[in-house]
Amino acid sequence: MAVSSEKYNVIDLKTGQLDRRIFSDNEIYQEELENIFGRAWLMIGHESLVPKVNDYFQTYMGEDPVILTRDNKGKLHAFMNMCRHRGNRIVRADVGNAKNFMCSYHGWTYSNEGDLEYVPGEEEAYYGALDRDRFHLVEARLDTYAGIVFATWDSGAPSLEEYLGDARWALDVSFNRLDCGTEAIGPVKWIEPINWKTAVDNCSDNYHVPTTHLSAILAMGRHLGLPRLTHEQQFESPNKHLFINGHSMTLRFLERPDQARQTHGVTQENRALFDEYYKATLPEAERRLGKVRAGQLHLGNHSIFPNGVLGFRLAHPRGPLETEFWHFVVLEKDMPADLKRALRMGAGNFNGVAGLFEQDDMDNWRGVTRSTLTPMARKYTQDLSMGIGQAGPDPDFPGTVAERYTSENNQRNFYRRWEEFMNARDWGDIPIERSTAEYEGTAKMNG
Amino acid sequence: MTAQKSEQGVSQSELWHELMQFYIAEAWLLDDRKFQEWLDLFTDDIFYFMPRRLNVGRQDLSREVSEVGDLAIFEDDKAYMTMRVERLDTGMAWSEDPPSRTRHLVGNLVVEPLPDGDIKTRTAFILYRSHHETDENIFAGSREDHLRKEDGRWRIYKRVIVLDSNVILAKNLSVFF
Repeated sequence: MAVSSEKYNVIDLKTGQLDRRIFSDNEIYQEELENIFGRAWLMIGHESLVPKVNDYFQTYMGEDPVILTRDNKGKLHAFMNMCRHRGNRIVRADVGNAKNFMCSYHGWTYSNEGDLEYVPGEEEAYYGALDRDRFHLVEARLDTYAGIVFATWDSGAPSLEEYLGDARWALDVSFNRLDCGTEAIGPVKWIEPINWKTAVDNCSDNYHVPTTHLSAILAMGRHLGLPRLTHEQQFESPNKHLFINGHSMTLRFLERPDQARQTHGVTQENRALFDEYYKATLPEAERRLGKVRAGQLHLGNHSIFPNGVLGFRLAHPRGPLETEFWHFVVLEKDMPADLKRALRMGAGNFNGVAGLFEQDDMDNWRGVTRSTLTPMARKYTQDLSMGIGQAGPDPDFPGTVAERYTSENNQRNFYRRWEEFMNARDWGDIPIERSTAEYEGTAKMNG
Repeated sequence: MTAQKSEQGVSQSELWHELMQFYIAEAWLLDDRKFQEWLDLFTDDIFYFMPRRLNVGRQDLSREVSEVGDLAIFEDDKAYMTMRVERLDTGMAWSEDPPSRTRHLVGNLVVEPLPDGDIKTRTAFILYRSHHETDENIFAGSREDHLRKEDGRWRIYKRVIVLDSNVILAKNLSVFF
């Protein structure tokens, strides 16, 4: 094998060995902010977070604060939350409604279309020489998929549709099922003492569930009537794990089209109500997604490159050793209130900062991050050798499909995708897998 | 504090002391890790709720505490609370094994008798948590409880906990409030 001349060669796909410097080296981290978070389409919000004109929601792209706003004509914008004068942050609240954003330092004032509309002393102090047009708020490219808002700083990036590729074929199963669309509630925010990549990589890790989450599986299984999840079940599972353009998608097979999806919040008491709901909405879902996606599949764990975790949840990088996690739940808009309540409670009980599953992840992930800090420990690579050679194309599913549901194929590919972004001079060097899937039904990118 | 007697013949001051003792006892149960006994302080129809605390401008203070219907930090009924406690006894609840060392300080008690004989209280708390070797968290906030007498003792049927943090500076919330 020829020695690669590329700067980053951190994952050996033949042996599954990963160079662990990428979890704690600050120079690498700074390059990630530019080459990954400065280039990729990033999930930043949901249309339902800014329902009315002039609403805004403060979000992040990497470490850069961003204002997601719906201007007075109803158009969405993503602006870097930074005054063009001296760089002060102009919006400090999480949410609000404003026609204009005024910097609290010197009073430069922008419209919510990003135009610099007013500068104190424009004639007197600047002698009329200030070219206000030069100082439009820095604006990202913005697009939406099924109500979820994405943005990128890179004008050379492909369209969002191309960026998602056939990951959308799988995402539609959960996020694009009904005409009514979805709404996002949250986020619960907290600081995890981990590198952001571990939270994303873990979305592909079906291997850890029976060990890390055993206490939750036991306690919740007893009360909710769930079967005990074991390693053996996971190894034999026919469920599919897809890798497409950096995105990882788990698809689970349903026993019958109208059954309650195995979602957090479904209990013995309310299961019949969920069955009823899925039965009632099946014809509409079949019209939108076709019979296979509407009635045979359920979207399980998944991640969207680089930092979208398990649905519309975000792992914002905060230096190599910290991640600010944003926990949202996406609900179908017209779902009956009692079912929404059940899913809300389930979402908080399984995942999130207090979730019985997620709280047990933290010290493991921290251990993985911290052990890369010393020269002695760094001599040893991280092992991602599970299922090497046991993945490839599949006649029924797009992307690269792992032979088993429990595999480290997607993690290896995730770090390979990381290398592709880190080594690229621009988007011309980053490969995009073209869409090959057949999109049965009427559902489109925008819902 | 007045010496005015309530309908049950208990003075406001006696009631305040009774409830303050209730909260002191609760704090010791938590810090002594007697979680099953702590769970027994709540009725079977308990609504245990910790909303999100938003960072908003003064004109938007009505949005500062998220409402029921939005995603909360805790939104538990008795079954979910029981799962949280029973999980700790499985021997494999890694976030609490080794367990957190906690200190719950509860004060600023205000008691408001309700017309139906129930009680509404407000308390402020500081919860200190030490974990593993060097992890430390301090959580501050307020609690609003609704209590009623069951079998001659006070039980909480609604608890709303409002943290003073926006972004929570802790790896997880595996302790009780």
